Amino acid sequence: MTPPPLIRIEALTRRFETGGGFLKRPRTMMAVQDVSLSIARGEVVGVVGESGCGKSTLARLVLRLLEPTSGRVLLGDSELTALPPAALRAARKRMAMVFQDPYSSLDPRYSLAEVLAEPFVVQRRALPSGAVAAMLAAVGLPETLATSHPHQLSGGQRQRVGIARALALEPEFLVLDEPTASLDVSIQAQIIDLLADLRDRLGLTYLFISHDLGLVRYFCDRIVVMYLGAVVEVLPHADAAPRHPYTRALIDSGFAPDPARRRTIAPLTGEIPSPFALPPGCAFAGRCPRATDRCRTDRPALGGDAAHPVACFHPH
Amino acid sequence: MSALLELSEVSVSIGRAALLERISLRLEPGHILGLVGESGSGKSLTAMAAMGLLPLIGGRVTGGTVRFDGQDIAAMTDGQRRALRGRRIGFVTQNPMTALDPVQRIGAQIDVVSRLHLGLSRQAARARTLDLLTQLRIPEAAAVAEAWPHQLSGGMKQRIVIAMALAGDPDLIVADEPTTALDVTVQAQIIQILGALVRERGLALLLITHDMGVVAQICDRVAVLYAGRLAEENAVDPIFAAPAHPYTRALIGCIPQEGMARGSLHGIPGAVPGALQFPPGCRFHPRCPQASALCRATVPPLTPHGAGIAACHHLSVEAR
Repeated sequence: MTPPPLIRIEALTRRFETGGGFLKRPRTMMAVQDVSLSIARGEVVGVVGESGCGKSTLARLVLRLLEPTSGRVLLGDSELTALPPAALRAARKRMAMVFQDPYSSLDPRYSLAEVLAEPFVVQRRALPSGAVAAMLAAVGLPETLATSHPHQLSGGQRQRVGIARALALEPEFLVLDEPTASLDVSIQAQIIDLLADLRDRLGLTYLFISHDLGLVRYFCDRIVVMYLGAVVEVLPHADAAPRHPYTRALIDSGFAPDPARRRTIAPLTGEIPSPFALPPGCAFAGRCPRATDRCRTDRPALGGDAAHPVACFHPH
Repeated sequence: MSALLELSEVSVSIGRAALLERISLRLEPGHILGLVGESGSGKSLTAMAAMGLLPLIGGRVTGGTVRFDGQDIAAMTDGQRRALRGRRIGFVTQNPMTALDPVQRIGAQIDVVSRLHLGLSRQAARARTLDLLTQLRIPEAAAVAEAWPHQLSGGMKQRIVIAMALAGDPDLIVADEPTTALDVTVQAQIIQILGALVRERGLALLLITHDMGVVAQICDRVAVLYAGRLAEENAVDPIFAAPAHPYTRALIGCIPQEGMARGSLHGIPGAVPGALQFPPGCRFHPRCPQASALCRATVPPLTPHGAGIAACHHLSVEAR
């Protein structure tokens, strides 16, 4: 029997309303639409998509940093989306987030020791002696940096501090929201190495958000592809052949670092529709080379093969 | 062929920080030269030097010459240099969100370039603007010309910035990370547009990027910078097939590729040193797996290597 998943996301939806005023109707934006997903303990699930696809909103909903419009999130047996504030705070020990920008996610006035003590303060727990040094060591930073301030660190070092802070209370589950997007590729590879190593050592479970399909295919066990708030395909493993035309387009847009594999680019035409005015059919139909009349009127549901679901009437 | 842009042993300082040391580059019409390296390696500064823009950031050329079409730009008057930029050199910045004036309509921002640099009338400038927008495959060019920057997507804005760079009918485009702020599907469009401009119009393109995939896709030659020095320069094929410098190899090894097993991606340990902490000898030695006592003590000279040049003490051992 397979063990129960650590994280269960059920029909999660979030709408944002903006622009309402006197004699002015508010506009509704579908940020995340009916997303369901289970994550097994120890699994690394990637969420990939372009700006505005809802991946960062999803990350915040999963940790209940944002309230969903509907749907639920379960961490083990506890329904995060139904917990009262005190119980939610207790549950937060079990999960944490690493943010994209290590320049703005660390308080410039705090020393690293203070940054790393903060989670204990919030949880009203005593900071064990030697904990700061141990946290720094776990992410490959020397203990001597404990008295340094963020501006004295390089981008890669700052992101290591962000990871150390996320690990402070020994969580089971981490949401990584584009943790390497503002770093050089040389540093990105160091951080990915570190995350892989921490997962193996500490048995962590990751939800890894990224716009970089190449990176996600390298690092993740399973890959969720989002377009305009909805999941369009779940690749069961990194090498699975993509079936949705959008996933194909994402892969075809990347360039291999090999001039022998230069090719004519067949760029996607058209623009991403506004999330305020989603088309009635498939959101990708306007840019899709395979689109038919049906795609423009009916919305395809995520379905087909349960291990490799795709939301498309004409998959590859 | 004579070079359109030629930097000979250019050194640049800001204050007492010597940021670039003896950088030599050549770019011919109809070619794309990629300038790569990590943040802090001196890519953007090299581009600023090439355009004579160093005074803007308080920098100065402390040695060497920058020639554009045979003319030493240091010998030009400020007016001549200003005429060069915009008219003969177009500049595409990294962030299209900040490159456009938010309170001017798109069309007016492009018109002004050809009115100023080509002396066109209002009507002729607008006709040229619409023509450029159409060439850049912007649908409904007339409507876009009347739009405000905030009404356009990031990819569309970057095409507007490219149109502005082209409006003066330049011979050289300098593009500083033109696709870094864009989504991948949009990046593919912009790279295709830039490549086509070079092939069809015989422009020269100096492309600054940290993305080795983009370099492999469109560049003819590649210059790899590290900590203010040229590490290697060569044609694109040998750069990727047989990189001479350990830094070039390491940069290529950082990119996740299809079918790569987990754990096979290796970063470069440490970080690029700041200008006041450059180590002696080869500046890459603290991060280099092949560093020896010689590397720690002596600066490696740039030596010919195949169709290019490289600066490494261990070249002979590595070269095939």
